Amino acid sequence: MTKTEEKKPRWRWGFNRYIVLALLIVSAIAAGRYAPIQPHFQVPAELLSTEPLFTIPFLNAPVFLSNTLTAILLVDLILFLIAGIVYFSTRSGKLVTRGITGAIEGFLEALYNLTQTNAGKWTKTIFPFFATIMLVVFVANTMELIPGVDSVGLFEQQHIEDPAACNLDTIGHVGTTEIVGVSGATECSAGVVPFVRVVSTDLNFTIALAIISVVSTQIIGVRALGLNYFTKFFNTRTLFNKPFLGAIDFFVGIIELLSEFIKILSFSFRLFGNVLVGTILLFVFGSLLPVFVPSGILIFNFLVGIIQAFVFGLLTMIFMSLATVSHHPEEAGEHH
Amino acid sequence: MEGDIVIAAKMVGAGLATIGALGAGIGIGIVVNGAVQAMGRNPDASGLITTNMFLGIAFSESIGIFCLVIAFLLLFVV
Repeated sequence: MTKTEEKKPRWRWGFNRYIVLALLIVSAIAAGRYAPIQPHFQVPAELLSTEPLFTIPFLNAPVFLSNTLTAILLVDLILFLIAGIVYFSTRSGKLVTRGITGAIEGFLEALYNLTQTNAGKWTKTIFPFFATIMLVVFVANTMELIPGVDSVGLFEQQHIEDPAACNLDTIGHVGTTEIVGVSGATECSAGVVPFVRVVSTDLNFTIALAIISVVSTQIIGVRALGLNYFTKFFNTRTLFNKPFLGAIDFFVGIIELLSEFIKILSFSFRLFGNVLVGTILLFVFGSLLPVFVPSGILIFNFLVGIIQAFVFGLLTMIFMSLATVSHHPEEAGEHH
Repeated sequence: MEGDIVIAAKMVGAGLATIGALGAGIGIGIVVNGAVQAMGRNPDASGLITTNMFLGIAFSESIGIFCLVIAFLLLFVV
């Protein structure tokens, strides 16, 4: 040990371990008294209101209040709050910002550099799509960590035509939870419908985001290359010079067109599948081993949510920057 | 459409659909193999390699998730 070595303070266990221990004991007692019940899932979002809020006039589509609608409104509120904080804090003129503003600035700068290496000239057009999609999906997937999401809700009985046919008979107790058997009609069940459900588990949200992403890619392609962008799909360039190779090129172009539609499905189902499977796994393990194991699954869901948000945005950015590049060697440079 | 054999067929179908996770596991293994070898050759490029490795893992995992979505669709929706 030389004299110039600093003496670091010895690392000691902190105080937080007592808080974790207390919470573990509380959860073990609670799981003993109030036993977990078997969860019931449905893929479409559960409706919170029996009557529609309003009806879209041209399509005759009623819009109900579902629990993912409350979730997306919460996501919007959180994002507006963050935007307001960042706006007022950058107006104050400080060069080095701290807190939330500093975090958002660093995050956006990393994304901007990543966009710049891929997109080149079109960075200023492409970057807002990348950052917005990533921020929305990131906040939406992080909301599952807030206590109360997916757990606090309305207790309802499934709507059936003849409620008197559902007799709930008690067949036993576990702790203070009554285990009821349902005799009578075969479609009786009762359960808790959460007020807020993670928005990415709703196929409406993911398909809408995927359609926005793919259609914006086409629009940016047309802005970069003019209407010649569509010769990527209907490639009749070499069809008349060299018939055989031209036919293959034409066929490849048609497959490119099909692949644009497949991209919509792929984007939406990637995000939807990851988050829905995580939620189902969380509930199933919560009913089997309620004490400590769901925390591990929650951490895994959190990481998967962040990675899927990044992948959605990154793929959007990559496809957009590919759309601005001309494939054919005869065109030198892009048209405006 | 709720006979016993229909429920049994749903369960068997959902179980068979998760065979696709095999492909996802192999794919992720290949991606991480390439990434770890590249990091061994060039430790300075660690950050870049890690970013692209996560991208490759997300792509490969999404195919496995497609199979899982079909399994859950069979169990809970049909």
